[in-house]
Amino acid sequence: MIAQQLLNGLISGAVYALFALGFTLIFGVQKVLNLAHGGVFMAGAFIAYYAVVIGLPFWVGFLLAVIASGLIAVLIDLIAFRPLRARGHANAEFAAIVASIGVDLILISLAQKLSNTKVLSFPFGTFPVEFFRFWGLRISLLQITILATLAILLLGLIYYLQRTTFGRQIRAVAISERASALLGVNSTAVYFQTFFIAGAMAGIAGVLIGLSFNSIHFLMGEPYMLRAFVVVVLGGLGNLPGAVFASLLLGMLQAMTVAYLPPGLSDTIIFAILFIVLLFWPNGLFGGSRISVGVGRQ
Amino acid sequence: MIDLFRSYQPVFDFFLFSLGLAYSQQAALRAGVFSVATAGFSALGAYACAILVKTYGAPPFLAILIGALVGGAAGWILSAPLARLRGVYQAIATLAFGEVIISLALYAEPVTGGAVGINSIPKSISTWHLLIVIAAVMYVMHAIGRSGVGRSFDALRQDETVAACLGVSITRYHALAFVISGVIGGLFGAMQSLYAYNIEPGQFGFSLMVSVLTAIVLGGRSSLIGPVFGAAILTILPELARPLAEYRPLVNGVILIGVIVFLPQGVGDAMIAYFRRRRDAARRGVSVEKRSVVASA
Repeated sequence: MIAQQLLNGLISGAVYALFALGFTLIFGVQKVLNLAHGGVFMAGAFIAYYAVVIGLPFWVGFLLAVIASGLIAVLIDLIAFRPLRARGHANAEFAAIVASIGVDLILISLAQKLSNTKVLSFPFGTFPVEFFRFWGLRISLLQITILATLAILLLGLIYYLQRTTFGRQIRAVAISERASALLGVNSTAVYFQTFFIAGAMAGIAGVLIGLSFNSIHFLMGEPYMLRAFVVVVLGGLGNLPGAVFASLLLGMLQAMTVAYLPPGLSDTIIFAILFIVLLFWPNGLFGGSRISVGVGRQ
Repeated sequence: MIDLFRSYQPVFDFFLFSLGLAYSQQAALRAGVFSVATAGFSALGAYACAILVKTYGAPPFLAILIGALVGGAAGWILSAPLARLRGVYQAIATLAFGEVIISLALYAEPVTGGAVGINSIPKSISTWHLLIVIAAVMYVMHAIGRSGVGRSFDALRQDETVAACLGVSITRYHALAFVISGVIGGLFGAMQSLYAYNIEPGQFGFSLMVSVLTAIVLGGRSSLIGPVFGAAILTILPELARPLAEYRPLVNGVILIGVIVFLPQGVGDAMIAYFRRRRDAARRGVSVEKRSVVASA
């Protein structure tokens, strides 16, 4: 019984991780909180849904959602963050949070209009419903897909950041935009890439979460946004593996509190933990002040 | 004229409530504290006041006073751990504070009524009460702004290191800013509960935080008149354009981006800066246009 709870928690943690990866990537590179990430995530789910509804096969809708949400994120960077970077004024953190809240409000409002405030769900059979049993545990094909996607994305992202030229450029800009510009790195291209990757990952997360809970609605990003804060703080802001570990931890913790404590206390405990971790380990539970996106070149 | 005012009275009251919460938010931002705890403070004030009035039959005035004190106490307690954090981390921590308050309000059903909230609270707040309280809050904010405390806040906001070197105690003034923010937040939360007949946890959530932040960004973070502009624009805009009322979040979003990109100081602060420049220019006998050309060069 406990094992099944832990497995369920692990999977909901993987779902949080899918969402939090892009969020923490943007923080690692640009040192701003992109509060529009929940909006992009929701947009991904919406695009996939409407693609499936007009009759496209699911994988086409999925692909469309991933590319489109990547482009939406790039657009957000162009509209909201680039003018702030160009000005480079002292209150950059505050300004970026405000601008991204603005973008989030726009996305949510458009989605609300589009869906008439209704809760949508993918037609039955969009994704094959199959269950596997082993060691007395039950796991669905979709849950396996979520775990596999998370593993592929994390490994791919780490490979990309650590082993490729683009990744080195991203890390250089994360350390110092000015110095990397002097060395010939095109920071515009770097921001384009990071926002595209982060947006695409939010889109993937949106589709998978929309599938697994079978509900897509215009406010679906908000609870994940709040969870993402917990995750990125526990894992260390900008620390990618840390974010994944923290998500898995959070998912299991939540499953345990829901199963064994009085109902309704789960959120209180989670946010109280966030508060305490922020106070004593503001760099996260995993390691010191290093930000893994910004580790030095090899 | 009176009739016209009557028909717009709810809108005006809404404006006064937004203005009050905006001052609570401004008190923190002015001292360089990136707190978004105003929603949490007002939730505490509202629940404290509603419980006192409904369960214990306390007189409204006393209940509101205690609501404000509860908000202030929360601000004071919060300031001690938050002294260790800055910037984004402070914002996340205060956000977590707000979420804890809401989830506790949802959990403690026997006391707070859970998701339904507290209903049929006797109404004892009218527009006049609100006006008087707003005037008092504005006077206090004005007095703080003109005093050494206000100057310390400004110094802390602009550069903490410099302020510390000039002998401004960071911990003490940040704590003071939190307490002021908490008292004002609790005060208006408490009055809200005695105005609107009922309160529920949902109304103090993320969206309240966003709208308070919008008002202050739009209006300005340091001037007294700033929040008035911010709250007024946010209240009047959807009323002016009825078809837009449906798109309220969208309009707010566009405003937020536009203001933070093109008018980062906010409407109120930017206007004050403009008139100050004009006045100085007139004194020196240089035309504004010439000065602005020089400034931009």
